[in-house]
Amino acid sequence: MAKKTIITAAVTGAWPKKENNPNVPLTPAEISEDVYSCWKAGAAVAHLHMRDDEGNGTMDKNKFAETLRLLKTNHPDCDIVLNLTTSGDLFATEETRQIHLKELRPEMGSYDCGSMNWMNSGLFINSPAFLTELGKNMQEWGVKPEIECFDPGMIANAAYYLKKGVLKGPLYFQMCMGCANGIPGSVKNLVFMKETMDALCPGSQWSAFGVGHSAMEILYAAVALGGNVRVGMEDNVLYSKGVLAESNAQFVERAARVIREFGNEVATPDEAREIIGLAK
Amino acid sequence: MSWGACFFYYRCPDCGRKFKYATDLIAELGPRFGLCPGCGAEGVLEKEGARTPDDLEYEEVDE
Repeated sequence: MAKKTIITAAVTGAWPKKENNPNVPLTPAEISEDVYSCWKAGAAVAHLHMRDDEGNGTMDKNKFAETLRLLKTNHPDCDIVLNLTTSGDLFATEETRQIHLKELRPEMGSYDCGSMNWMNSGLFINSPAFLTELGKNMQEWGVKPEIECFDPGMIANAAYYLKKGVLKGPLYFQMCMGCANGIPGSVKNLVFMKETMDALCPGSQWSAFGVGHSAMEILYAAVALGGNVRVGMEDNVLYSKGVLAESNAQFVERAARVIREFGNEVATPDEAREIIGLAK
Repeated sequence: MSWGACFFYYRCPDCGRKFKYATDLIAELGPRFGLCPGCGAEGVLEKEGARTPDDLEYEEVDE
């Protein structure tokens, strides 16, 4: 039987605006329609960020709620796994970064496993106290953490929280490659991230994405190394060098082609639930 | 949360070409980072950021 590969669609993110690509979805209506299109194209997981009315990143729980309501109301057939960010606004409080998880109970939420400089201009803070509280809360609320790692040290940090019981295995990692101040995007570095994960957190599952020039390199490498993939305008507003993406579904369609050409099958949402270890 | 590719945006002082390099290539490209892809001159750094609105005016150099 062919291996199943999960496609995660990260459709909005916290930074790109219409001026970067007019096709990036920003409102709850746009985001919910984009998620549906990505699901039809083969995405099993949707990683969601929200924007305020000016288009800036926000952790406003009402925006999350409205997006989920629209998706459920307009597309009741869509069974995609919802993964809500906990890091959509650098100025959000530790409370607003997680209250939407408590109230909406998505199947997954992001868990950024360490602090770093953000685009050489700000701080992306995930303090020990916050990570401890968030990990415990996610267990209590039944929300599976997606462990976002921007460098190998964050994998080591995940192993620490696993041993402490703050995180519960098996873990699901998202290797974030090529972001400023994180590990550069290359096959060699992705192999090192995977080997570090296998050594420190054996039995974990993983996915990866690369931004910019490393997007395709990481996509192909993740499939070849037995991982899963993430695509979308959160990470890349260009479809190829110098060409703006027409839609998020365009990225999903390409990832699905790569997976099938490799000889794998695109995982359905239910298959993704099994791979990731989500309670049905 | 990711923040897309971050670049150094350059203008060539000799031939006027506009080009950019992703900052995660600094280590890989070493001394080649920031050179004009046309004439090889050291570029003048104009700005940095994650795909500024005029991003497409700058040729992306990644090797």
